[in-house]
Amino acid sequence: MPYKGDVVVEFPTDSSLNVMIVFGDNMRGKTSFLNALRWAFYGRALGRHLHEIPLLNLLNREATAEGDFSMEVGVRFEAGGHRYDLRRRATKRDHVALPSRTEDMRVDCSLQKDSIVVVGNQVEAEINRFIPEQVSRFFLFDGELLQEYETLLMEGSEQGRRIKDAIEQVLGVPTLLLGRDEIGTILKQAQKQQTKDLQQMQGMDAQAEHQSSLQAKEGAQERDIEALKARLKETKEQREALDDELEKVEGVHRAKTRSTELGKRQAEILAKQEGNALARLGLVKTAWLDLIQAQLKVRQGQLLEEQARISNIVERKARIDTRVEDLEMLLSEASCPTCKQQISSENRGKFATQLANLKAETISLEVDGDALARVSNEISEVSKLIQAGVGKQIRNLVSEDRSLSVELTRVDNEKEKIDEQIRGYDTEAIASQRRLRDALIKQEGSVEQRIVEAERDLGKTRNELAVLSKVIANLPAARAKRSTAKVALCQALGKVFSESVERLREDLRRKVQQKATEAFRRLTTQEKYERLEINSNYGLTIIDENGNPVEVRSAGAEQIVALSLIDGLARTGRAAGPVVMDTPFGRLDPKHRENILRYLPENTSQLVLLVHEGEIRKETDLTPIASRIGKSYVIEEVTPRHSKIKVQPL
Amino acid sequence: MTTISVSEPTTIGLSERAHGLLKRLVEDKRNGQFAEMADAYRFAIGLALAHRVIPGEVPTPRTTIFNVGTLDPDKAIYGAVRTLVDTGSMSVYRWAERLAEWGVEELYRKFELGKVDVADILSEVEGTT
Repeated sequence: MPYKGDVVVEFPTDSSLNVMIVFGDNMRGKTSFLNALRWAFYGRALGRHLHEIPLLNLLNREATAEGDFSMEVGVRFEAGGHRYDLRRRATKRDHVALPSRTEDMRVDCSLQKDSIVVVGNQVEAEINRFIPEQVSRFFLFDGELLQEYETLLMEGSEQGRRIKDAIEQVLGVPTLLLGRDEIGTILKQAQKQQTKDLQQMQGMDAQAEHQSSLQAKEGAQERDIEALKARLKETKEQREALDDELEKVEGVHRAKTRSTELGKRQAEILAKQEGNALARLGLVKTAWLDLIQAQLKVRQGQLLEEQARISNIVERKARIDTRVEDLEMLLSEASCPTCKQQISSENRGKFATQLANLKAETISLEVDGDALARVSNEISEVSKLIQAGVGKQIRNLVSEDRSLSVELTRVDNEKEKIDEQIRGYDTEAIASQRRLRDALIKQEGSVEQRIVEAERDLGKTRNELAVLSKVIANLPAARAKRSTAKVALCQALGKVFSESVERLREDLRRKVQQKATEAFRRLTTQEKYERLEINSNYGLTIIDENGNPVEVRSAGAEQIVALSLIDGLARTGRAAGPVVMDTPFGRLDPKHRENILRYLPENTSQLVLLVHEGEIRKETDLTPIASRIGKSYVIEEVTPRHSKIKVQPL
Repeated sequence: MTTISVSEPTTIGLSERAHGLLKRLVEDKRNGQFAEMADAYRFAIGLALAHRVIPGEVPTPRTTIFNVGTLDPDKAIYGAVRTLVDTGSMSVYRWAERLAEWGVEELYRKFELGKVDVADILSEVEGTT
């Protein structure tokens, strides 16, 4: 517990200012406050899964470090018109230097009723008279309880069955069940006596033998069931212990899983980088050509220009040659070869000049005969070297490789950090424990199934015995026997008890349903929800205005239904009294929260809310109960192991 | 272009010093830039051509490294050098050898400086041309 030194908290005593609110961040000591009250009344504090917290773990660590191994919780209260002063104190036993086990501590409890000391062995009974421990979960409750009760809504769940048993325990059903079982024991004895009596009667041997064998069978089946139940209990305890162990190292398991994932990613990245490197090396084989592509293209352009230039010269020369031939023919003959007209001397002069010019030009148009072929060959060679290139692909691979390297560094760092965190933990052992836990869950299921089957077989045997008893009871010789009369009486009484159990259950369910519905109608924000309907496991179904069950419910609605059930059970199991709630508003929307805040102060004598500011904002969310808040406190951290409770005016 | 008939060598190499550098360029297969010496050799020729280098003689002692047929099976190097350079009276492959000598020295210098890879060189050359 984080509390050290004296911590005094005054609860509100004015019935019109009956709300007390305690703010505290997580890990500051809200649940410890609840546990302090629980320990004061019942001598035990509960942790997760309702497991009892060892006494030594309740001591303040700072105080024990300073050598102080004592703690005390005192509660002054009124109940049934009497004033009570309850004190429970734990101290280290005188002969123990350093306590290491619960046995090393001594616990004393004293109770004064109207200033008169209640005798030691009467203290528990006195407390249970007005605040029975079995009902305490309904008025000293935390968020975990709420979640647990939501599982009641799942028909047939194992946890649901366990809670059903717990509820019936609280509501008094076991008293009748015990009566029924005791009658059953007397019935068995009577049947044995009856068998003995029959064995001594002539002509009744067969019935006696049959009855005797059925009784033996019944006994064997009962022993089997007991053994199976013991095994189931043992398996459950083992599994729950493992659950708790695994919960403690859940972070380590998660870290190990993450480390394994990161290891796989490391391998993937390295493989990808290796693949990329190989692909890049393959591409680099021809990358040298990429380096000269620009020059090759320039060269290709030059060669094409040269090719065009040579082609032009060849064409021009061919045209001139033709013209020279034509002019020479004109000048050698006096008339035009086409129209046969005479050529004037003036024109002959012009033609002669033209011919001379063309001949002069043709001399300048010297063409290397092989040039065109050589250039064409070279163009062909250059064209072969010009290609799309691999530079872009190489750059893409390199870019991807760089991104992968960055990721690899990040993955390496994260893995190293995680591995450092889990160094020293035996992660293999944790994995092995998880496998064992899974195996135990399977085993639980299998044993449960065998119990169901064995109970069915036992029922059959008992029916056979009942039928046989009736047959025997009708035989004149047996009827006269006292044992037969006793068997008949026990059977009749057994029937009365069985029917009473069912009737009581039915009655309790009806009461719980009615009270839960009353609460639900006040708490729900959905007007179309008409009522709650209870099932045989005390699970509740919302029924809408048309009488149809509401199949899909939000997390908030689940919480409201669970709260309604708890309220219904609390009010069925005891008279209205104080209620202490630890972190109850987790998943509720503002409207539901407001409804709860309005409802609870009216239906409890005192309401203590232990909340953190994430679920209740003191400036706005407390408006519905502002006028009823009698006391307000805040839990403040002094050191991580020491908190103090201070008055905090709102 | 003047075409002079010159007999081409059947082997090609580098100075012993450049040969040592070439080996180191291909040493690390995963982080390295070249799978084989021939790849680095070709890349060195390409780099020298890209920089329009007029190479000097290969320093002695010189060593033979490749058979020309192995290094240049499709005669692409031969074609590229002949197209882009006037080798004068020197054989194309001997010119290529000189280019490779310069290129290997340059590649090693770049890689030795670090933070440079084939992709960077390709980008650099693309940018300058």
